Amino acid sequence: MADHDRRNHGHRGGGRKRRYREDDDYDRRQRRRYEEPLVVKVRRQLLTIAESAARRAEDDALSIAKSVAENYDDEELRDNFAEIALDLILEQPLKIPFIATIVLVANTIKSELVADVLKRFAERFQSHVNAGAWREVKLLLRFLGCLQCIFEGDGVFAILEELFSRAVDLQTASSEDLIGLELVKIILFTIPYVMASPATGFESHALGLLEKTDIIASTPHTLVDLVNPFGPDTEKSGSIPSVIGLLQTQLQGESTRGWELACLPRPWNNVRDGDEEPKRLEDGPKHAFPETTIPNPVQPGSRAIFPEVYLSVYEDQDMVTVPPTSDIASSLMRDALVDTINIMDFNRIATAKFLIDIDCYFTPNTFVKRATPFDKLRDLPGDRPTWKPEDVAVDAVFSQLFQLPSPEHKLVYYHSVLTECCKIGPAAIAPSLGRAIRFLYRGLDTIDLDLSHRFLDWFTHHLSNFGFTWKWSEWIEDLELPTVHPRIAFIHGALDKEIRLSFAQRIRGTLPDPYQEFISEGKEKDTPDFKYMLDTTPYANEGAEIMQLIRRKASDEEIQPRITAIEEQAAALGVKSPILPSTDAFVTAICFVGSKSLSHVLSCIERNKERLLAIGPKSPAARRQIITSVMEYWVDQPGIGINIIDKLLNYTIITPLSVIEWALVDKLDAGTILAKTHVFEMISATVGKVTNRLRQIVAARTQPGLYEPQLSVLDETLTREKKDMHALFQIIEDTVVSVAGGSNDELMERGDGSGNLPEDEIIRQWGKRWLRVFRRKAAVEEAHIIDSMANAAPVGTNAPTPPPALVEESGPADAVAGADGDLDVADADADGLADIS
Amino acid sequence: MRIPERRNTVERLDRPSAYYVGKNKRRRYDEPEEPKDPMEGLRDATTLYVGNLSFYTTEEQIHELFSKCGEIKRLVMGLDRHNKTPCGFCFVEYYTHQDALDCLKYVGGTKLDERIIRTDLDPGFVEGRQYGRGKSGGQVRDEYREEYDPGRGGYGRAYADDQRQREEDEYGTGR
Repeated sequence: MADHDRRNHGHRGGGRKRRYREDDDYDRRQRRRYEEPLVVKVRRQLLTIAESAARRAEDDALSIAKSVAENYDDEELRDNFAEIALDLILEQPLKIPFIATIVLVANTIKSELVADVLKRFAERFQSHVNAGAWREVKLLLRFLGCLQCIFEGDGVFAILEELFSRAVDLQTASSEDLIGLELVKIILFTIPYVMASPATGFESHALGLLEKTDIIASTPHTLVDLVNPFGPDTEKSGSIPSVIGLLQTQLQGESTRGWELACLPRPWNNVRDGDEEPKRLEDGPKHAFPETTIPNPVQPGSRAIFPEVYLSVYEDQDMVTVPPTSDIASSLMRDALVDTINIMDFNRIATAKFLIDIDCYFTPNTFVKRATPFDKLRDLPGDRPTWKPEDVAVDAVFSQLFQLPSPEHKLVYYHSVLTECCKIGPAAIAPSLGRAIRFLYRGLDTIDLDLSHRFLDWFTHHLSNFGFTWKWSEWIEDLELPTVHPRIAFIHGALDKEIRLSFAQRIRGTLPDPYQEFISEGKEKDTPDFKYMLDTTPYANEGAEIMQLIRRKASDEEIQPRITAIEEQAAALGVKSPILPSTDAFVTAICFVGSKSLSHVLSCIERNKERLLAIGPKSPAARRQIITSVMEYWVDQPGIGINIIDKLLNYTIITPLSVIEWALVDKLDAGTILAKTHVFEMISATVGKVTNRLRQIVAARTQPGLYEPQLSVLDETLTREKKDMHALFQIIEDTVVSVAGGSNDELMERGDGSGNLPEDEIIRQWGKRWLRVFRRKAAVEEAHIIDSMANAAPVGTNAPTPPPALVEESGPADAVAGADGDLDVADADADGLADIS
Repeated sequence: MRIPERRNTVERLDRPSAYYVGKNKRRRYDEPEEPKDPMEGLRDATTLYVGNLSFYTTEEQIHELFSKCGEIKRLVMGLDRHNKTPCGFCFVEYYTHQDALDCLKYVGGTKLDERIIRTDLDPGFVEGRQYGRGKSGGQVRDEYREEYDPGRGGYGRAYADDQRQREEDEYGTGR
């Protein structure tokens, strides 16, 4: 844009006048097109290279290379070219072979230009290495790998060897090391691009390196079970390979097949000037390999690293629609797509475009034609691959959506990418999503519980973008399954979530008859009934009075007598804790009066905050009664209930522990509550609040430039909160473990007490799946604290005596932590907690 | 000279809209200052303006969708100045700037209640801004809309009034 503006400035006015001259129109248009500055043209060509199936990318590569090399004196052009080329490598990895081709061509015309690019390259590479930005390092090395033929000596292999020796050091130092694995991953993902490049004679280099990486890549990491999308004791879990283990095997296979690497594009082999033979790009002048240093030890970087596994949602179909794991294409395509997806989060529409255009970036005819229907694949001649570009693309998005412990971006980003893909090519994408949905639905009993919730959340959000249309009829048979069955839980949860994004009547209209009973009458009521309106409800009069008082915003003094009345009656009836019925009436009344909307209930809570806050300290049981009252009032629309619970946590009217105890102790109901999706959502959100808070404290504790006395204050806060978090995870562990092991009293007393009811095994499975999720969460948080604290200043570190001139200035710790170093995190008011949650 | 920020190779979706940038340009018309960064005033913004909602979309629905980008601190429904009923827009405030940016990137331009919604970074809610600024109480855009939109009160109100007037005027002229 900037160039465009600049271009027009000089012409303003002058051009307009000429319009009145005869015969000038044609001339003017001609001239304007002619006058498009070269730099604008080159930029456009460069940014869109390989994007169109209608153009030969090789021709554009040649044209760009010629333009820039032949106008080497144009500094603006040169700078623009080098910077945009590097930007593209880092932002649009699918284009790396094409960018490399331009550089290879340019090298045959004006090798100084390439020297220039390499110089800038070295700067960027070094800064990414120093920062521990391993994805960027990987992409930059891929570019160099494609350029291997222009380097003197071993070229890129020298740096790969260096990376390997760092990996060995890290792995030797600790068996839990993950950065070493990351380095090995970089090495393995660079090799194929070198071997597909015009360079020749490096087979022994590659093989030598592969022999060395084998031991690290093929040994399963201790944490790999943690990230398996299927539980450890399920059939499926064994079929999930680790990304580097898989690639190691595939590369070894390729080495025995002459490094065929069929899917990788080789634009460098097809650059033709006119009708001549393809240009030989490897004959250009040689360059010294860019000088860089790999620090020892290397830096961990800002992204948390976990082992990665290869998941495909199309693995068990009767037609192969994605490259099988036996083919290296599976890893190479997945890697390039996943990077594209994760880098491009700032423009989901561009991401979707890349995914749809995937066939432009790999060897022609690697895929079947776009939008080929699944059923038509059988009719294709046997020797042709049957990979569907849509399936490969969608599979890559799902691999991120289902990445454990968590993907790089918020889950909703991956939802939005799938939505955009569907918008661009509904006929092509929707059937692929349909098959993915069926795969995931079939696997609901074995897939990790966290992932089944991600599936639920995506599925419903996706449908909300496409008119809530789904072929519910195909699951009708499953409606006969027991209520606690994962499929029934999913259907229940999905319909509830759909209603939350829409409204009950609308969703009812999308469902075939057998599903109608899932939409109870209560779900269609905007305002659930107030139970104290019924005379048969105990304390009906007082309950109704309290509601009227709250409705007319009466003072707390006016409410108190009614509360007392309930408690006295209850005591007379022999109720052990009279505070429970009074709390029930009070909270239910607040829910009813505030039922119109979230803001209504929030202002209602705000007005009665003091009384609500006073309940918990008087009785933990009463605190849990608050939760019961909310959840019972909103029993038909639990989404609203858990939303209110969430706000009550912010107000510290209830505590995280009370929420966990409410669900897993009071309401465990022989473990059947574990099948309720909204309960998992509520517990996850509550645990998430606690872990987020702890992460904030860790961040404060580990900030650079923190000294005593703030250091000790924060350290104490951290120790205290960490203990609370452990207690929280412990109670989940203790309660759920009894369900998983079948030793829960209620569970054992069900039915004939044999523990052999058909549902008993399902309930035990729920227990196991819950355990796995929360044990993982606990482990991830623990690891985060340990990793972060590794470089933190120890307690007792005093500020260095400042030079006299700086005495007046306050240190960074003062600015962040405040004078008392308390950071507000320990403050019990709603605002303080809300601010960090 | 200011060093320009490194540009992305494709447009970013987490920038303020042309509407916001344009509004600020107009405001600065007679001040001959050098042009300001459009992100100024929005650098730490945690609030989004959300537009093109149906009048019937509830707070709960908005909450359900927007909390996918982070915890919501405050939700202010846009109301008809006279009737105090929802008039098709709202403000969503997050706790962090990043959550607001993510919302622009991932939720803006997708559907809520089966309508494509619009999100724009906003310098922050101020009392009074929850009311429509149109003549009849709703949003200005709903005054003159010529298309029928059942989710937003049918035809534009001014347009509908005009229509009615014209029909009345024309009544009987053909006889």
